[in-house]
Amino acid sequence: MQPIKNIKDIPEFDLLTGGSSVCAGCGPSMGLKLALKVLGPKTIIINSAGCMTLLPLFPNTPLKVSWIHNAIENAATTAAGARHGLDALGIKDMNVVVYAGDGATYDIGFASLSATAIKNERVIYICYNNQAYGNTGFQCTTATPYGSDTKTTPRGKENPIGNTTIHKDMLKLMGVHRVYCATASLAYPVDFLNKINKAKERDGFSYIELLGTCATGWNFDPRYTIKISRLAVRCGMWPLYEIDDRKLSLNKEFKELKPVDEYLQLQGRYKQLPPDGVIKLQSLVNEHWAELNEFNEKRYV
Amino acid sequence: MREEELSYKGIHGIPVILEPGNAARVDRSSWRLVRPVYNKDKCTMCKICYTYCPDSAIAWTKEGPVINLTSCKGCMICVEECPTNAMTQEKESS
Repeated sequence: MQPIKNIKDIPEFDLLTGGSSVCAGCGPSMGLKLALKVLGPKTIIINSAGCMTLLPLFPNTPLKVSWIHNAIENAATTAAGARHGLDALGIKDMNVVVYAGDGATYDIGFASLSATAIKNERVIYICYNNQAYGNTGFQCTTATPYGSDTKTTPRGKENPIGNTTIHKDMLKLMGVHRVYCATASLAYPVDFLNKINKAKERDGFSYIELLGTCATGWNFDPRYTIKISRLAVRCGMWPLYEIDDRKLSLNKEFKELKPVDEYLQLQGRYKQLPPDGVIKLQSLVNEHWAELNEFNEKRYV
Repeated sequence: MREEELSYKGIHGIPVILEPGNAARVDRSSWRLVRPVYNKDKCTMCKICYTYCPDSAIAWTKEGPVINLTSCKGCMICVEECPTNAMTQEKESS
């Protein structure tokens, strides 16, 4: 498939219909809809337990492609098994895609993800990162950013910051496996789909991480889903870059980042974050952005 | 949807869905408080509303977007993102 140049080139078919039970304005659901436009009908999706498990609820399914639902630990190894099964049958033109959340990727399923990546199986792993366990009521994961209010790290008198840990740098971790890895945002669908296209053409493992804006958990009006995705990139909270064979390249470069305050103000989970928390978050963002700019077009990991 | 209308059957006692994408017929109109309204005069055919609809409730035709109000959950992303205000919102009557 040719690279997509602008929004008008995006194919006009939907392999994910409406009527599913996910929340209104669901970011991960939009991400799956867009991804299937490039992947096409010859796709097997492997899902580990999470929000997107709500899509096919018996007796209704919004999906027009194959779907395997598995336990939260082993989505990546199920995908490797599916690929080996297809190879044994002599089927070459199927895409095996994992669509798993950040809890299943960063925490519980990391062992199987690492094993599949190091063996370089021909699998596309898409992680929809909504920065908490969204399906069970927004508990903290290792992807939750500093200062976020979650069910297990509530903001209170004793702990005004909320989540005090700094999230895991997953792209760096996946980069050391010498696979293709990239970040994506819903506000830049052409960039996201070109990354999936690139992953589809490769004969090996690829890891794409999508910022799955979650209106229910992040506590904002669902109409701002795209606005928040765009601000996350513009404020440096979610920089768009890719690591190919340990070399980093920034996809969206800005002369100056917007202050993170603009991104935080729209979301209820950062409401009442004290000023020193905002300053710490800004310094973390600046540090990461400086690091990415320093290693741009160079060996990163 | 009533149970008789659903297209599934049991194979060796295990129920199987026969029609892929049958959720498109499920009525989600009770989820929304406001509905999007399309004004053809202001539309520039940019396809932004079609791309950003999370529930595939907007179909793209040669004449422009067609809103399927059965699937629309009223998230209003199309109204917020439309660059020319061709999508506006209206309160649900009942």
